[in-house]
Amino acid sequence: MKLALKGAILAFVCATFAVQAQEKVIRVGVLMPISGPGSYFGVMGKEGIDLALEQLKGGVNGYHLQVQYEDSACSPLQATNAVKRVLDQFRPHIVIGEECSDASLAIAPILEQAKVPQLNAGSVTMKLTESGYRYVFRIFPNAAQQSLPLAKVAYDRLGARTAVILYEKTNAGNDNADGFEKPFVAMGGKVLAKIDFGRDVNDFTAIATRIASLGRVDVLPTFALEGQQVRLAQALAQAKVVRGGGGNAVQMGSIWLPYGFDQKAGQAAEGYVRIVQFDPNEKRRIVQDFIRAFRAKYGADKVPTHINSHAYDTILLIAEAVRRGATDSESIRERFSGFKGVEVTTGRISFDPKGQNSDLSVVHFVETQKDLSWKGLDW
Amino acid sequence: MVALGLTLIYGVLNQINFAHADFVTVGAFTAFFTATRFATKVLGLPDTGAYLLSMFAALGAGALLGLAVNAAVFAPLRDRGDELRPLIATIGVSVLLENAQLALFGPIPYQFDSPFARETLRIGRIFFSAQSVLVVAVSAAAIAALYGFMRFTFLGKALRAVAQDRETAGLMGINPNLLIALTIVIASALAGMAGALLGPVLVLSPFAGASVIVKAFAIVIIGGFGNMQGTILAGILVGVIEAFTVQYLGSGLIDLVVFAMLLLMLVLRPTGLIAERKEENV
Repeated sequence: MKLALKGAILAFVCATFAVQAQEKVIRVGVLMPISGPGSYFGVMGKEGIDLALEQLKGGVNGYHLQVQYEDSACSPLQATNAVKRVLDQFRPHIVIGEECSDASLAIAPILEQAKVPQLNAGSVTMKLTESGYRYVFRIFPNAAQQSLPLAKVAYDRLGARTAVILYEKTNAGNDNADGFEKPFVAMGGKVLAKIDFGRDVNDFTAIATRIASLGRVDVLPTFALEGQQVRLAQALAQAKVVRGGGGNAVQMGSIWLPYGFDQKAGQAAEGYVRIVQFDPNEKRRIVQDFIRAFRAKYGADKVPTHINSHAYDTILLIAEAVRRGATDSESIRERFSGFKGVEVTTGRISFDPKGQNSDLSVVHFVETQKDLSWKGLDW
Repeated sequence: MVALGLTLIYGVLNQINFAHADFVTVGAFTAFFTATRFATKVLGLPDTGAYLLSMFAALGAGALLGLAVNAAVFAPLRDRGDELRPLIATIGVSVLLENAQLALFGPIPYQFDSPFARETLRIGRIFFSAQSVLVVAVSAAAIAALYGFMRFTFLGKALRAVAQDRETAGLMGINPNLLIALTIVIASALAGMAGALLGPVLVLSPFAGASVIVKAFAIVIIGGFGNMQGTILAGILVGVIEAFTVQYLGSGLIDLVVFAMLLLMLVLRPTGLIAERKEENV
């Protein structure tokens, strides 16, 4: 009896060691704004990543994904410190992040030097994938991919000939504004004013008054975070500039704007036209499965935003790379480079030689209706 | 109102309160939850009544918070006679309040709409939201009440006496600690009410106050640290300059213009627009 007990203990210990020896891990560093004004990105991003990890808890090809979150606060300085810390202490095989363009640009050269891929799902600045980095991959459409369709739709579909561009004073805002201005002017449109503002501006009354004095404005492409967009839309409606306030101009927005903006802005958002990459109304199975799982985990009344889904997709893509045989940073980079039409909730991912997702097949336009719902536009 | 609270504390305590921004945010959240949850859903008040009630709730929350922070942090440090420690403590209180609100309310911005924010008033081509008019009206009333209190009441005179010379005021039978506590309570109540007024204007998150505090500091310095009239004048001046900057130079240059003005003021007239008169006996 005693011998049998000893044998059982020995077998258990051996089995435990055997499991530990076989356990293989892909370490994923996640840099997100968890503090500061951009911290809602971090909260939503973490929701998406946690859900994906829960669904993959059985592992992929014998590998477990191990995640470490770091607060990069949407700030270049904090992101730099955070990425150095995560590289030193956690030794990740891949890093997801950041959301804000300025912070993403700050960490790119550090990860390039460390030969660790950076998977970005929220920055638009052109410089991120135009600077020759071999280890940068981005699934979020860049400024040109977002602004060019806006300019075309403004000129061709909406018949707009005059525009006022509103944008935050950041790399992302500048790139989006330029990305709209150049093709719009080349097509024959006229930009009456380019109005930039800091992220600390809350009261847009003076800006709306100025726009109201500029004469006929057809479209107002706007590139700012959600909170400022809400206040801007309301000020423009009060100035009777935009359709939501009884004016003629159409306010246009990019993928920056999360689902739920319309409800926050209220009637001011009526007639707002924007491009979206993640649309909860999309019928693809992967989208509807994601929404069901998201609601089951976080509450039946919650609708995931593009921030949730982009973060969820980053984990799916890493899992796909592992499924295709990736085992370390270099092989993850190689597998990513070979991705063609990998289906995720925000579309199909095909990385071009610069690391930018070039498949925009699910990106489409929507218009906010009187009841604040979205009407999909076939543009 | 935010700048007025800052200057009031500096005038009496010779201390800068870095936590003032967070008192504004606490006021904004108090008003938000009072208006959208308690007053409408529990008391069944209409929107306008609910919002007006929420302003008083924010005023009370600011006052209570000021009282608590003074009793727990500022007063014990002041008693040790060190000027640096209370200053550093205000930074600590600021970080603590910001993170407490982050834990309680989360980082996703709240949409705080007052019934006044939905109304627009027009004079020719110029328009205002009724909320802006309310902000100006309530601020004017609060400033007038504060001015009257400081000028014509016994407590106000005692407060000014403490501001001029704490020790001599003590010898005259005035309790300086009580009056310092009163100053902090008044300044915090003003911050709370400012939060209620600015809530529908700001992007309401635990970091909302930070967006107004830098400008408030600039106003206080331009006006003359510790001088109420100077602060009011500087507040109006900065507002007008901001509006003209947006109209004629571009909104991206607002900070450049305001802070260039601040530097110019520091170089040419370091005492501010209206210098605080301090008499010394030789």
